[in-house]
Amino acid sequence: MSLPIEVADYLQTEFEYSRHPVCFLIDASFHLLEWWGDADLHGFTELQSGDNMLDRAPYLLGHTGTSREILPFVSPAAGQTIEVHVLPAGDNFHVIVMDASHEHDFHQKRQQNVNEVRLLHASQQKLISRQRSLIGELIEAKTELDHRRREAERNIADKNQFVAMMTHEFRTPLSSIINYADRALEKSTSTSELRKSAEAIARASRHLNSLVETVLDDARLEAGSLTLTDRTFEVRNLFDDLAAIMAPLAAEKGLSFAIYLSDQVPDNVSADDVCLRQILINLLGNAVKFTEIGGVRLDVDWSQQQFHIKVSDTGPGIDLPSRERIFKAFERGTNLGETAIPGTGLGLTLSLELVRLMRGQIELVSEPDAGCTFVIIIPATFVEHAPDEETVLPEPAEKFHAARPATILLCDDDEDLLTLAEYYLHRAGYGLLLARNGEEAVEKALAYNPDLVLMDINTPRLSGADAAAQLRKANFARPIVALTASDIRKLDRSVFSDSLRKPIQMPRLLAQIQSYIQ
Amino acid sequence: MTLLNSKICILGDFAVGKTSTVERFVNNHFSDKYLTTIGVKVDTKEIQLTEYVKLKLIIWDIAGTDRFGPVELAYLRGASGYILVADGTRAKTVAAALDLKSQAEERYGELPYVFLLNKSDLQHSWDVSDQRLDELSQSLTNVFVTSAKSGDKVDEAISTLGEMIADRESQ
Repeated sequence: MSLPIEVADYLQTEFEYSRHPVCFLIDASFHLLEWWGDADLHGFTELQSGDNMLDRAPYLLGHTGTSREILPFVSPAAGQTIEVHVLPAGDNFHVIVMDASHEHDFHQKRQQNVNEVRLLHASQQKLISRQRSLIGELIEAKTELDHRRREAERNIADKNQFVAMMTHEFRTPLSSIINYADRALEKSTSTSELRKSAEAIARASRHLNSLVETVLDDARLEAGSLTLTDRTFEVRNLFDDLAAIMAPLAAEKGLSFAIYLSDQVPDNVSADDVCLRQILINLLGNAVKFTEIGGVRLDVDWSQQQFHIKVSDTGPGIDLPSRERIFKAFERGTNLGETAIPGTGLGLTLSLELVRLMRGQIELVSEPDAGCTFVIIIPATFVEHAPDEETVLPEPAEKFHAARPATILLCDDDEDLLTLAEYYLHRAGYGLLLARNGEEAVEKALAYNPDLVLMDINTPRLSGADAAAQLRKANFARPIVALTASDIRKLDRSVFSDSLRKPIQMPRLLAQIQSYIQ
Repeated sequence: MTLLNSKICILGDFAVGKTSTVERFVNNHFSDKYLTTIGVKVDTKEIQLTEYVKLKLIIWDIAGTDRFGPVELAYLRGASGYILVADGTRAKTVAAALDLKSQAEERYGELPYVFLLNKSDLQHSWDVSDQRLDELSQSLTNVFVTSAKSGDKVDEAISTLGEMIADRESQ
């Protein structure tokens, strides 16, 4: 049923008043044919039939009136928001444009609020997610810190245990040295007793030195700075030295000690003898230490350019769990401090590492209460001729006589060392200048121009390193040899000609002097 | 001189920077204020394709949405190509742009397009990983990382679309 005519008229008037509709009749080429309504209100000024409507209303492109279309809320670059209706009209089409700005503004405000809330929500979600991620990172960092703290605590405990162990190890030879020295100083001591005391002091000192070397080797291994230095050496001298060190220790406990070398063992080989010696001292030392009844023996054989060595004892043995622990750690190369079996000392685990360094193999055969045997294979190279240089432990010999008259300047603040050096160097026929600090050394060296300077590094008033540098700066061209217990790699190679590590063994010192004086 | 006319639409989720991109391209201007688009804004710009050919782009900036309704699909009628826009600081808007692309293709077939990952000036709150960007570059033909704020790559992207449309229409 249609609306009453007066209502329809009223609605039309109201609609035209509020929406200002304009109707265009346009042909298929977008040329204007006819129009109705106030086109000026929508920016269509000075319209004429035949105008190209794509120039006046570019939004019509693509909308050719093939079907009825309604495009609400079209906002042209200039003018108000409009609603566009496209209606087919035969070969042409009608376009009705009407004002939609009020409705557009209403929707725009509402949608603006909705979108701003959605953006806020998205930012909040992002912040929450970031917060969660930060909390996760914090928890992870805390876990890592806890882990490191526990590790540090474990390291401190290990270090304390190590210090306690080494203190005990050091006290044994130190006690021998102190007691035998006291005995030697007694007035009633006979010459033969004096000699026995001196022998005991020498033995304990060598043992002490060996302990210090063990600790230093361990530190160098951990720092990754221990490297092999192969050289030719006389095999029997090495094992004689071992016998000289270990036999008295075994004898003190009433143990038998023997070294058996097969006929196959060559006279001379090339390998790192210092490293091999350290391995065997550690294993033999442990064997003697933990064996109470019976004895310790060392069997040495040779085949296919390898030493085949057995270190056997009749001690308490090592149980299976401890054995597995040592060797698993050995294969993994774990920190020595973590694997040391309580009571076995540092020597055993250090020996395992040194065997690895020498590309050797080691195997342990042991049962509780049935002793243990270490089977070691160490590669070495057979050498035809004997080495020219001295063996590992050169005996103090008379042969270190001065090759020519020479003056040596020795700088050290240790009076005992100065006295000892004075005795040996004078006996060898050298002239000697003594300095007790770096400044004195510089003065005497520049005044007397000695043939060689032996310079302790830690000297009072002016350090040995600084004194040597001053001498070089003053054009002192003679050799300067550093005497140090510290890391010799830290020395300036452009200043020092060479270095000798403390404790100084007099035969080595004399050999070194001779090589420079020649 | 030949003057071609082409209608292109710019599509994407709300607040990804569609209106700002058009404003940068047409008027070389940028405003930080966010103003929601209702319906469609129509703008034009001529670009010189060759010495003798100009292309007049009639750009329909359609209100942001992650899914077209019948009205928005009607806006797309007669378009020669489209610009998809996503916001690099909201990864979800990438998926929305790809959904709109599927809808447009379903209704009007394959048309030339370019994909704009916008707001490259906001790197500190960037939400689209390099891996995702690589995937997009491999699966879509023309991906541009743009900034309507600085203008970076905006002209290059829309001109590329113009060339694609001209090539297609000359075939």
